[in-house]
Amino acid sequence: MTQPTLDDEAFKAELAGLIPHLRAFARSLCGNATAADDLAQEAMLKAWKARASYQSGTNLKAWTFTILRNLFYSEKRRSWRRQQLDPEVAEATLIANDDPSSAMDLLALRTGLTFLPEDQREALILVGAGGLSYEETAEICGCAVGTIKSRVSRARKALAEIIDNTQGGFSGDGKLRASEAFDDIMKQADELSSGSTADATN
Amino acid sequence: MDHQTGGSADDDRARKLRQKRIGDQLRRLYDEVTEESVPEEFLNLLEQADNSKNKQ
Repeated sequence: MTQPTLDDEAFKAELAGLIPHLRAFARSLCGNATAADDLAQEAMLKAWKARASYQSGTNLKAWTFTILRNLFYSEKRRSWRRQQLDPEVAEATLIANDDPSSAMDLLALRTGLTFLPEDQREALILVGAGGLSYEETAEICGCAVGTIKSRVSRARKALAEIIDNTQGGFSGDGKLRASEAFDDIMKQADELSSGSTADATN
Repeated sequence: MDHQTGGSADDDRARKLRQKRIGDQLRRLYDEVTEESVPEEFLNLLEQADNSKNKQ
């Protein structure tokens, strides 16, 4: 027991535990769920094959995300490349697993995300949703921590503006009113989704 | 003008609130996927890869 390498069984178990996250990250990169699962599967297998080069004790999630991301960007012609988001498809995907009102907010968010530059979107998703630190995200994306911080902050700002502009139609003047309306909608969505989870199952 | 300072404080509060909502929704978007059950195919592929290793 000199080298603290993970044995295959332990590695496999940890990798299997990360599948949901690989799928979620892939979904944020790809245009649709099928392409995303293809990408996530390839990344999982690639991680398995490369297991000897993983240093135990380091963050396996960040390591597998790096593999997935490299795969995504290195094979640009593959089907999993993000296609122009088709709002109808996005809507169908979302409405399938959420109540309609909350789905509408998520749709606004998802549509907003598609307007962001790719590098900002992935930084925001990794930090804001994937639970990765700025440092880990910087490693995954192969850039400086400061770059990630500024991408995330620009993405947050841009997203708020995009959502404001798309939902501000009924209060053309005054930013405050538009954001209040947005907050109201979000609040309603929160209440609805927390209150209706019991009967949301078909 | 004090109107302006009051306005910017409100703006600030509204902005923070909005960012929190966006953060919540962003996590929800991600968690929707992580909470799905993993398709069998994933684990099958992993098992296959593990088994074929033993044959080499």
